[in-house]
Amino acid sequence: MREVYVIGVGMTPFGKFPDRPYYDLGKEAVVKAVKDANVDKREIQAGYVGNVKAGMAPGQKVFKTLGMTGMQIVNVENACSSGQTALNLAYTAIASGQYDMVMAVGCENLTGGRTSGEALAPDQDDIEGILGNVMPAIYGMRAKKYMEVYGATPEDLALVAVKNHKHSSLNPYAQFRNLVTVEEVLASRMVAEPFTLLQCCPIADGAAAAVVCSKEKMQQLGAKGVKINASILVSGLFKNQSSDLTVPEITQRASRLAYEMSGIGPEDINMVECHDAFTIAEFLYYETLGFCRKGEAASFIRSGAAELGGKHVFSVRGGLLCMGHPLGATGVAQTVEAVWQLRGQAGDRQIQGAKTAMIHITGGGVAGMDNAACGVHIFTV
Amino acid sequence: MSGQPISEENEPVFFHPDLFVVPTDGKAPYLLGYKCEDCGKVWFPKLDICPECWTNVKQINLSRTGKLCSYSIIHVGQRGIKSPYAVGYVDFPENVRIYAQLAIPHEKIKLGMDVEVIEGVVRLDKSGNPAMKSYMFKAVE
Repeated sequence: MREVYVIGVGMTPFGKFPDRPYYDLGKEAVVKAVKDANVDKREIQAGYVGNVKAGMAPGQKVFKTLGMTGMQIVNVENACSSGQTALNLAYTAIASGQYDMVMAVGCENLTGGRTSGEALAPDQDDIEGILGNVMPAIYGMRAKKYMEVYGATPEDLALVAVKNHKHSSLNPYAQFRNLVTVEEVLASRMVAEPFTLLQCCPIADGAAAAVVCSKEKMQQLGAKGVKINASILVSGLFKNQSSDLTVPEITQRASRLAYEMSGIGPEDINMVECHDAFTIAEFLYYETLGFCRKGEAASFIRSGAAELGGKHVFSVRGGLLCMGHPLGATGVAQTVEAVWQLRGQAGDRQIQGAKTAMIHITGGGVAGMDNAACGVHIFTV
Repeated sequence: MSGQPISEENEPVFFHPDLFVVPTDGKAPYLLGYKCEDCGKVWFPKLDICPECWTNVKQINLSRTGKLCSYSIIHVGQRGIKSPYAVGYVDFPENVRIYAQLAIPHEKIKLGMDVEVIEGVVRLDKSGNPAMKSYMFKAVE
């Protein structure tokens, strides 16, 4: 398999844009990424487009008025992991030698035509969905178990939101850039216990794109790319038996594969974007991704290690909690952040000396599974 | 059949006949599991074959009580369910974990408590009348 590099990235700000269709957002991201790569758009040989809600052929609508159709386009839906799935397909196309230069795109519009105030629920023919389950409660149950077993407090969990807001205040692409205190986080409206509103990732619209190519192509172009050292995608295991709610098995498997594939371990990683859909999620991922021991997430965040200036900065772009989560776009937006950080282009939120980045995404409420899918990528310069 | 909001007589629909039995003689209701004839794993909800072995499963009556693994109180929930409402995962002795609403005063819910399956209203119609009945759990007294 050949070595694969990211040579161009771009994204829209994330926010609420009900009047901008997903393909319009996608187009903006594609143009930015191609210009950032400084390549001729006609040399792009395929596009992998992550989108969850739009239905038929969303990728074609992104690329057609950019004069980029004709090439292979694959429309990618894998719940919250759609964006990293698109990146995984792009990676595989290059690594296998099928193509020399392709794009991974993620775009989503959730606010146009949506009734607000309703939590996202599992599918309506999902037995748990019929009986009233919603995503915040699924994570809420994990949180309550974690808090009971390890003694973490609501204040501990709130620190994740406080930290991610600190980071997003430095990110012009973030939806929410206000600073918040622990008190404000805990006083916000209760959604599903123990999560108050500021502990749940908001709905958002947005898009991101990346130009991915082989080492040979990069050298031929004279470009300086960011290397993709691991590209992993797995699905959740289906089981009805009891299991430990504090161990996200899908993340455990995916991250182990990523560490094996790259030969890189958590100790080397300067920056992590994970699936912080709810505050407890970031706690569980500190532990499951191997950045601290089981039960020690509260100590880890209180030590400052996960914050800008610390050894392993989590959610430096503000994470899902402050960016929001346009489903198809997030995985590619995490990629864009990783590339900016490793290039030294992250402005006020730059992690000094960042050399190795990891992105992780998971999600998709399906009864009987930890999550539907999980993507993990590791990048280096 | 199951899952449709209201029938002609305005009777709430009963969900789910191949998972939950409410005896007509007044005896206590119980859940049905589906046990693999090869590996012995129990599945819920109903499956026709075991996901691991692809062999047949046979229907078994589950124990009436289990332990509450964890719960959450949903404040911003689904339309048709009066908020706030409690939901949880219950672990049964047959090694199967089942999600359901909890008919337990919220301040009394504790992880690990013993709960018992009952029939209850799980969804309301637009006027606030019962639209769907199914299994849920109450505290074992």
